[in-house]
Amino acid sequence: MKRFMFPVVLALLLAIPTTTAFSADKILTIGVDQEAIGLDPNIVTAFSSHRRVDLLYNKLVRVDDKLSIVPDLALSWENPDNLTYVFKLRKGVKFHNGREMVAADVVYSLNRVLDPKTASPGRSYLATATAIEALDAYTVKIVLSGPLPSLLEGLASNNLAIVPQEVVEKEGNLQKVAVGTGPFMLQEWLPDNSMTLVKNPNYFEKGNPSLDKVIFRVIPEQASLYAGVKSGELDMATISQGAIILQALKDNTITVMRKPSINLRTFGFNNTRKPFDDVRVRQALALALDRTEIIKAAEFNMGQASGPLPVAVKLWAKDPASLPFARPDLAKAKKLLADAGLPNGFTFSIVTASSYEGGLDVAQVIQNQLAKIGVKVELDVVEWGVYIDRWVKRDFDAMVEIRGGSSDPDRFLYRTLHSTGGVNNFLFKDSDVDKLLDQGRSLTKVADRKPVYDKLQVMLTEKAPVIFLYSPMENQIMSKKVTGFKQVGNGSIYYLAETKISN
Amino acid sequence: MGRYIVRRLLSLIPVLLGVSIIVFFLVRLIPGSALQMYLGTQVETTPEQMVELKRLFGEDQPVPVLYVEWLGRILVGDFGHSLRTGRAVLPDLLSRLPLSLELTLMALALALVIGIPLGVLSSLRQKPLTDITIRVVGLLGLSLPQFWLAALMVLGFSGFRGWIPMGNFVSLWADPLKNLQMLFLPSLAIGIGLAAVIMRYTRNSMLEVLQSDYIRTAKAKGLKRWVVIGRHALRNAILPVITVAGFNVGYLLGGAIVIEEVFALPGMGRLALYAIYQRDYPVIQAIVLLIAALFVLVNLITDLIYATVDPRIRLDEKGR
Repeated sequence: MKRFMFPVVLALLLAIPTTTAFSADKILTIGVDQEAIGLDPNIVTAFSSHRRVDLLYNKLVRVDDKLSIVPDLALSWENPDNLTYVFKLRKGVKFHNGREMVAADVVYSLNRVLDPKTASPGRSYLATATAIEALDAYTVKIVLSGPLPSLLEGLASNNLAIVPQEVVEKEGNLQKVAVGTGPFMLQEWLPDNSMTLVKNPNYFEKGNPSLDKVIFRVIPEQASLYAGVKSGELDMATISQGAIILQALKDNTITVMRKPSINLRTFGFNNTRKPFDDVRVRQALALALDRTEIIKAAEFNMGQASGPLPVAVKLWAKDPASLPFARPDLAKAKKLLADAGLPNGFTFSIVTASSYEGGLDVAQVIQNQLAKIGVKVELDVVEWGVYIDRWVKRDFDAMVEIRGGSSDPDRFLYRTLHSTGGVNNFLFKDSDVDKLLDQGRSLTKVADRKPVYDKLQVMLTEKAPVIFLYSPMENQIMSKKVTGFKQVGNGSIYYLAETKISN
Repeated sequence: MGRYIVRRLLSLIPVLLGVSIIVFFLVRLIPGSALQMYLGTQVETTPEQMVELKRLFGEDQPVPVLYVEWLGRILVGDFGHSLRTGRAVLPDLLSRLPLSLELTLMALALALVIGIPLGVLSSLRQKPLTDITIRVVGLLGLSLPQFWLAALMVLGFSGFRGWIPMGNFVSLWADPLKNLQMLFLPSLAIGIGLAAVIMRYTRNSMLEVLQSDYIRTAKAKGLKRWVVIGRHALRNAILPVITVAGFNVGYLLGGAIVIEEVFALPGMGRLALYAIYQRDYPVIQAIVLLIAALFVLVNLITDLIYATVDPRIRLDEKGR
């Protein structure tokens, strides 16, 4: 008899569910594919770090789910002229250490970003700022040396979050600790395993957050993330692979949220290399590409065709179908090539990487499509680190990339395509484009700026220094228990502050 | 014996020195640097910021100078700080090591538990069907890539709560049962290849031993079958198996790198993988050094076990 008892007891032990502890706490477990690299909002560059900062810190302003600028720590603001901005702060906002956040903290934080010693990636958001001062405990003035219409959008960046001086000075930086004003506070961080955030009971938005805890779990495999939500071990996960989303869409036990992101998939050239220095060649390639087919084959339809401004930014983006070269025209493409002295096509290589950002799938479709006009493409598939190295050294004929767009056209287009632009790795220099970009930057009113950027979108598509293909979808999958979450479009998960979960 | 161990441990020093030189210069030859990976493709910097960043990432000095500085600090036990997270390398590494070791040992145990009995069985059952089946299964185990097997396991077992860690790994001392449950599949994925190797060695070795005179004598004396096989045959047949298993422990540790990623286990392997992706030089260097040291130590332990099991082997010169 005894002999039979052992397996029975063992089986019973194994059958006991491991999560028996009952609690009334509202806990949301979110699966993410990458661990945060650090938590200092003014310093981090990794997407994974930004997603934690979303919940831990606040900025003067933030971007809402309609991609509009709305109050965050600043309740209101005015710009008496286009070189001066005055912000009125919320009163009674507390840092996680209990101290009140005041104007001096804003001055300290923004100056920290400006200080070269901080080496903040957010420095360029404040490019022309010359003075940041506290007029009183709840009023901050920013003075610029030149117009910067994207300033508000920049101030909405996590990199310009407001941090407490005493904690930075005590810890050296905020990479390992988190003392913000955000809806959640850091409780525990087990690197490469999990991070637990608890509700900030003093959060300034009354009634939020509704969740008591948010637990991040790092699971690198997208298929495992999906399996986790399906089995109930995860309540939510961010998914980038189209194939997985297709699977989830067929599954009626899971909620799938999709929204075109403000990122852009691009196919860009080194405009100083032959034959890409000839605009006719670039136009021919643009005319040979079929965006619909690319989105279908490389993204399982999880994308939306876009022009130079992300299609999700409705205020500024022109309808992609109304822009030149929106539809493929092979005959015209071949004629343009012949006019450029290349009637038999030519051969070039595309630098690509097998990671999602590196766009290997996209490059393969492009390879097939260009073959139809006699252009032979070699794929230079490299590891991600090598990819970045080639990008930095401008060592490529062409590259497939993901460009992080923004809700304001000035910042994105200026840095990407102005001849002095910080990330103009296409080495594109064109005086007409520069003129329009400078003009757009000098204006602050939407009505004045709109015609400039409309014209610019057409001009950039025609000159085709880089071909803007589409905006990938931002995808969240979640259990049916989760309600109230909203997608922003820039990857932010700030709306967990307004999310509810039922037990 | 004691002197032998001391001598072997002393030989670690030149090995580690050689490894340190190779890894230090080699990781810097890979295109892309920690600073480039940090900045990615979307960040703009001013020239003043670049000066500061280069200083922070140690790119303002020639590599040989950095090497000497690094070596000097290691001698006092300071392995530096991660370029990405800013955390001290050594505590991070040591906190990850137990999981990887546990995974490796579990994989080894599974390989032995699966491999030896199957090998013995296959050597005894000369019936074609049993033998061929075991040999085919063995060949499969040997040929299937670990990562593929692991991915299949994740898919196949995703419906079973608790068997896939899902980023909520618990350590052995926190909850032994759950820990072993979580590590079972990953260990199996790592160990199955070695199980196949061990099975084949056991089978061949047993076949040879079973032909020898003393086995015939033992049988003739009328000993029970299991005593002949267990005490007389296996004890002798196991020697080459120990050598093979010992040499493979290092490879199991390497297998852990890939498997930890697939199963989302926060071990040293995963730390190594991300350090390589991000060109986090101090972390890569420390891990490679640690693995090299472990490799040497495991080989030493194998030799010691060998000497214990086989009385003919004497490790000290004096004994000869």
